Amino acid sequence: MRLSGFPLLVASSLVLAVAAGADTRPAYGGTLHVSVGIAPRSLDPADTSEPDSIGRRNLMQLMFDTLLTVNSQGRLQPALATAWQAEPGNQRWHFSLRNHVHFHDGSLLTPEAVAASLRTANPGWKVLAAADSVVVECDAPAPDVAAQLARTRNGIAKRSTARNPIGSGPFYITDFQAGKKLALAALENYWGGRAYVDAIEIELGRNGRDQLIALDLGKADIAEVPPEQAQRAAGEGRRLVTSAPVELMALVFAHDPQSQDESKLRQVLALSIDRASIENVVLEGEGEPSGAILPNWVSGYAFVFPEEQNLLRARQLRSEVRQAPAWDLAYDGSDSLARVIAERIALNARDAGILLQPGVAPGAALRLLRIPLASVDPRIALASVAGFAGLPAPRFGVGSGDEIYQAENAMLETHRVIPLFQLPACYVLSPSVQGASQGRAADWHLEDVWLKSKLP
Amino acid sequence: MTSIPGCPVYNSLVLEMSTLSSRLLPGSCLLLLLFLLLPATGFAADWTTPEQELARRIAAVTGPGAVAVDVMNRSSLGKKDVDEIGGGLRSRLETLGLRSVKPEQAAAAIKVTLSENLESYLWVAEIQQGAGEFSVVMVSTPRVENGTLVGEPAPLVIRKVPLWEQPQRILDVAVLEEASGPSHIAVLDPDKVLVYRFVEGRWQPEQALAISPAPPWPRDLRGRLVSRPDHLFDAYLPGVFCQSSSRAPLSLACHASDDPWPLASGSTLSSFFAPTRNFFTGVLAPGIGKQKSVAKFYSAAAVPRPSYTFWLFAGVDGQVHLLDGITDQTARWSWGSDIVGLKSACGSGWQVLATPAGNGSGDSIRAYEFPDRDPVPVSQPVEFAGGVTALWSEAQGTSAVVVSHNPVTGIYEAFRLSIACGQ
Repeated sequence: MRLSGFPLLVASSLVLAVAAGADTRPAYGGTLHVSVGIAPRSLDPADTSEPDSIGRRNLMQLMFDTLLTVNSQGRLQPALATAWQAEPGNQRWHFSLRNHVHFHDGSLLTPEAVAASLRTANPGWKVLAAADSVVVECDAPAPDVAAQLARTRNGIAKRSTARNPIGSGPFYITDFQAGKKLALAALENYWGGRAYVDAIEIELGRNGRDQLIALDLGKADIAEVPPEQAQRAAGEGRRLVTSAPVELMALVFAHDPQSQDESKLRQVLALSIDRASIENVVLEGEGEPSGAILPNWVSGYAFVFPEEQNLLRARQLRSEVRQAPAWDLAYDGSDSLARVIAERIALNARDAGILLQPGVAPGAALRLLRIPLASVDPRIALASVAGFAGLPAPRFGVGSGDEIYQAENAMLETHRVIPLFQLPACYVLSPSVQGASQGRAADWHLEDVWLKSKLP
Repeated sequence: MTSIPGCPVYNSLVLEMSTLSSRLLPGSCLLLLLFLLLPATGFAADWTTPEQELARRIAAVTGPGAVAVDVMNRSSLGKKDVDEIGGGLRSRLETLGLRSVKPEQAAAAIKVTLSENLESYLWVAEIQQGAGEFSVVMVSTPRVENGTLVGEPAPLVIRKVPLWEQPQRILDVAVLEEASGPSHIAVLDPDKVLVYRFVEGRWQPEQALAISPAPPWPRDLRGRLVSRPDHLFDAYLPGVFCQSSSRAPLSLACHASDDPWPLASGSTLSSFFAPTRNFFTGVLAPGIGKQKSVAKFYSAAAVPRPSYTFWLFAGVDGQVHLLDGITDQTARWSWGSDIVGLKSACGSGWQVLATPAGNGSGDSIRAYEFPDRDPVPVSQPVEFAGGVTALWSEAQGTSAVVVSHNPVTGIYEAFRLSIACGQ
């Protein structure tokens, strides 16, 4: 009778008694179907002929382990390496390897195999195999070696000319049709614990529309959505997962300014762009206007770099230059978002007295690029953007916030890069997908995904 | 660089240097030792060092003089901290000869933004001197994570006492000795059992007992510590059984085993655990009356009655199975996969704690009683910052250990749950 005083609680129990499964703890089994836009021809994580993208990295993580990983707080975690240590000076690094790990073909993952794999991915490194570890030697102090080894391009692979590279990751390849289809099966004795799903089937090279149709027809459990369509997808009641910004959209000049006037004109262009309007209208609110190379969640100081349009200042600077040549602005012809944004930028630039001619002209001095965030380590991320822009890689000491800011500021002062937007990666999930806790860096970790029981 | 024998050595990256652990236990291989017996109403963070450092850097740019300081917050810090930092920074600038004045009277305008990145708080000062002289200085300081306790109204209250937290997955915690509170504990993680003793106001690591052999563990690894009268404890892991010695220095003998795991304190009922999965196979030992098996399940709870006991099993099939020795009834309640039965001096004297169904970012546990065969909630849910990864009853049967994984901090947090009578 003690309970009679609590009718509300009793009533709430009735509400709670809606049919729902005891599904908090992961369940094993089933095949996960994924549809993606990328169409890799090669499954080698170190193949630089394949464009780097978040999607490619997510695929590689399924098959290839790295020595280290990065957790959601951006901290390095043991993976194939259980411990690591740099000698004073950060030129020589030791990585102790996990014992009893096997490649998918059953062969033991040895220090020699790891060293060979890392040498292929990093021709500039000297990688030595020791008894139960590998040693990485660099020509110059390299404080970011450990963070580099968490990148999927440094996934450990056993290579031969006759077949696909073999990894040691949570899934092994059962079928690969280049650019079309990848089928994977869970490795039963994976050192990190067997994945929950039995298999993954990935349809490659699907456009956005096909992906959503596959999802609606129940043929896909996970599909990509372009950021500019994310709000619409959510409005249609789809389960949407959005990462933190992981892709920089930027204007990149192929060469340094050849004169003071050219520097000024590049400043005029940067000041003329109305990022806020483009974000509202073209990106439909998804993405962040940015004057910084690194997203704020990685650097913490992105707001220091202004991103607001300043037509007054732009026109003032423009008036200081007598003649402004017309610039070709090249974008990827298969990227409809890039085309629209390039056209908007051309309109903004015209208001400030700069003539831009958007097109797909290869070899243009000015390009509109999408640059994926290479790492949550800001040193690696900045170095990657420098690579895209043809700038020398910045050098770092301890990698303090101040030091990284100075490096980014120096890159921007070259007037080679004009940041525009930081874009997230967006996915839609079918109702049966559980445990899809996409990290801020848009990493999938499909080994942690399970499929909800379809029992009545 | 030196290392502690037997401990993994981590690179001294900036990313690692800022962890809480390095401030709490310098020189220790334990990443984090933080025991919170006090009601966790939040830490009073000490911002002195970053305030001093930022003030020093600002002063190095401006020199002494009149400045206008504006502090804004772009981080997850609360208003109280922001106000405290703003006040502290102004007073430290003052001691360095930078007087705060109105903007129109200032020789320099200083805009301080309290920001953050993945790893730490970042305080950025943008300094404008005159028309064109613009400088940026910044300092970073590690995040401070606050804990919270939820005060519960009547009828029954689930008491939630922080027990332990660490970055590595906690499978179970056993309280080996108690004074006014736990004074000797064992923490089971995937590699070892760590034994700690509360000495002179802090937890001191006493021993680390490796689990060997340790096969490749299944994902969603589960494990259980059970206190024993003739030796200190047993540890159950998928496919592995470990037994401690009875006295210090402790040793831990482990071997491959598919012996059944005990399901609840004070009961002889056990069940076999699937060695490569995260569930019990459903084969019971010795059984409930004539019933020797049930569907595969994640957890179980006993509900004693005057003349018999019925058992609840949170099944892998999403249903709850009720076994009374004769019948196997199934029900679909809004329960998750973790349940446990507790004795108490409240209500009917026996409650079942259960997680809810669903997969939100947080989780909760609620107490239920069984006037008949349907659960009636008798407490408000007690909340956790992340999903519950373990829920086991303790030796006396009056409390349970729950572990949740905080998705923001990445820390596993263990709490002791018990039932208190409502007001």
